[in-house]
Amino acid sequence: MIRLGQYLPGDTIVHRLDPRVKILSVVALSLLIFAATPLEIALISAFLAAVMGAARMTPAHAAEALRPVAVFMAMIFLVHLFFTEGLPLLSLAPLPMRITQEGLLRGIYVTWQFAALILAAAVLTRSTPPSELVGGIERLLRPLSRIGIPSQDLAVMIAMALRFMPMLLEEYDRLRMAQMARGADFTTGSLALRTRAVSALAVPLLLSAFRRADELAVAMEARGYRRGPRTTLRELVFSRHDLGASAVMGLLILATMALRVTA
Amino acid sequence: MIRVENLIYRYDAEEPDCLLGITLEIAEGAHTALIGPNGCGKTTLIKHLNALLFPRAGTVCVDGMMTTDASSVREIRRRVGMVFQNPESQIVGMTVEEDVAFGPENLALPSAEIRRRVDESLAMVGMTGFEKRAPHTLSGGEKRLLSIAGVVAMNPRYIAFDEPTAYLDPAGKQRVLEIIRRINREGMAIIHIAHDMRDVAEADRVVVMDRGQVLRTGTPAEVFGQVERLTAISLDALPEGGGR
Repeated sequence: MIRLGQYLPGDTIVHRLDPRVKILSVVALSLLIFAATPLEIALISAFLAAVMGAARMTPAHAAEALRPVAVFMAMIFLVHLFFTEGLPLLSLAPLPMRITQEGLLRGIYVTWQFAALILAAAVLTRSTPPSELVGGIERLLRPLSRIGIPSQDLAVMIAMALRFMPMLLEEYDRLRMAQMARGADFTTGSLALRTRAVSALAVPLLLSAFRRADELAVAMEARGYRRGPRTTLRELVFSRHDLGASAVMGLLILATMALRVTA
Repeated sequence: MIRVENLIYRYDAEEPDCLLGITLEIAEGAHTALIGPNGCGKTTLIKHLNALLFPRAGTVCVDGMMTTDASSVREIRRRVGMVFQNPESQIVGMTVEEDVAFGPENLALPSAEIRRRVDESLAMVGMTGFEKRAPHTLSGGEKRLLSIAGVVAMNPRYIAFDEPTAYLDPAGKQRVLEIIRRINREGMAIIHIAHDMRDVAEADRVVVMDRGQVLRTGTPAEVFGQVERLTAISLDALPEGGGR
């Protein structure tokens, strides 16, 4: 089962923050992480660890968030390890590469940077229900509707995609079983044969998705959906906590700038 | 009052008409049952009631507003709610409460009012406590109740139900029928498509359709008394000896 968003219900200060503050903070953090020197990355990591602590994210949760990108992280590390010029630590003689001290440090630094990016995003998705996330994105994009970008439609589209995902998975299971019941075999035979068996599911799945989309569009229309003024169940309120969190983010940005000036 | 006059409709220019001149009145607050065999045009008819389909000829008039008048469509959709047959594909929200809120949000009501309507509608269908659940974690019966709550929250004057008890177990069926009665008591008119006449024995009026036409209209007693005519169009009348 896909765990989209992987939201973990909770009632921490991080959970209660306005999604807009969280989204913008993650954007700011990502920029800081991208531009960070090793010293700054240490500061940002400490900050990130503190936020994860506040959101009750355990090291196990962090590991879970990083697992899907583990292979990618390993590749980043190895590329830097083997292909950076510098003081050789270990020669891998017939092969045209060697491990250098610079390569080792650079590998650790870049991999750490990448992990910090992922973890920053994980704090957001773990502590924010998908609906609030979508609502926050919609509010942040709203100024763009003046130049013709329909932020509301975009938000509804994201919400629909999230809502339809489990439904399509169920449908896929249903179709697969219906075909198995009539003798289709998905588990034995050569890889090519099995691939062909599974791809026979694609067309009915697509058709049913289109039919569903059609029915859904009619149902939405029947419930009065249309372009134009619309309100939401939950108004986003910018509270004292949000002000505090924004101030902390501001301080972090100032601190990294200070580090850069003094260094 | 919804007034349908000599309504003719076909889905495709190439195909024959599937509604052949329907004339019908639906009074405010009434419970109207619509019965007839599969494919006789019941669903097509009710889709006309809230301007999802438009007549090829004839008129559909809701509280004095023509469905063909584009400026009235919004108000007509607010007044005539629609509960479709498949609850699965009418749930829009990522959580139960957000789904119920979808209609009121489209009406641009203030948040506090939306909250109140969501709570009331969920209470009405007995789903208080399900607010934060994701729709795909609900059972078939619960999804059905959710689809009803989503329409009730718009506070319409009329609600059309397209086979609301399909695919439900007997207990689920009774629950839905009880909720429909409750909604009716609150003053909303019910248009109820059914196959099983036992489901609509309490209706104020029964409209029997066949092949795009209204065959007969009357009280349940009047209509169900004519067992022969009904079985001729392959509907089971009230079971005399059988029963559940």
